[in-house]
Amino acid sequence: MVDQPLWEQIGSSFVQHYYQLFDSDRSQLGTIYIDESCLTWEGQQFQGKKAIVGKLNSLPFPKIVHSITVQDHQPTPDCNILSMVVGQLKKFNRNIWEPKEEQSILDSRSGACVKQKKRAPQYNFGCRLA
Amino acid sequence: MVDQPLWEQIGSSFVQHYYQLFDSDRSQLGTIYSLPFPKIVHSITVQDHQPTPDCNILSMVVGQLKVDDDPVMGFHQSFLLKNINSAWVCTNDMFRLAIHNFG
Repeated sequence: MVDQPLWEQIGSSFVQHYYQLFDSDRSQLGTIYIDESCLTWEGQQFQGKKAIVGKLNSLPFPKIVHSITVQDHQPTPDCNILSMVVGQLKKFNRNIWEPKEEQSILDSRSGACVKQKKRAPQYNFGCRLA
Repeated sequence: MVDQPLWEQIGSSFVQHYYQLFDSDRSQLGTIYSLPFPKIVHSITVQDHQPTPDCNILSMVVGQLKVDDDPVMGFHQSFLLKNINSAWVCTNDMFRLAIHNFG
């Protein structure tokens, strides 16, 4: 860790902390956001800590496990850190994928776990969903 | 377009311009893109844009690409756009192929 740039250390610590919280008790994710925060969840926009926490708490699965495949971190000119994660979701409730909810996923693109820089890869068919 | 927030308009215009350049003549994107294939086509599945507290724009693209005669592959790409001297430039760019995503 000593040889890693600061933004790598901060970025990867944040990512680890985020998914640990998300997978154990996502009601605690409020500590990460402020009123200026934005969340885009499968195309839906949420602004501010309250709205973001509301959305995360309303997701239709009690438990989920994230598995990180890769992660990237960069410093930005304004001294922020940009991070991107590609990974997989495991142990989701099978009910999420029933045809009725699949339809709503296809229509509104919600349901599959997505955060800012994540999208459910099985809908990456290269065409706009109707 | 009139009803879209400014960051959506700028973000989606940048994304369109970027992949158009990339697929037609990527030498115009700068010397960093010295990649080992002559022909590539990008297809955007979805794109998201957000304003940041520093008045930048954060964009994320999920899509597919096809290089020469290789099979189609998925990709994820994130951009941070910044307004410098009245022009929107890309200050951060992260690209990942959606392969080896076996968890």
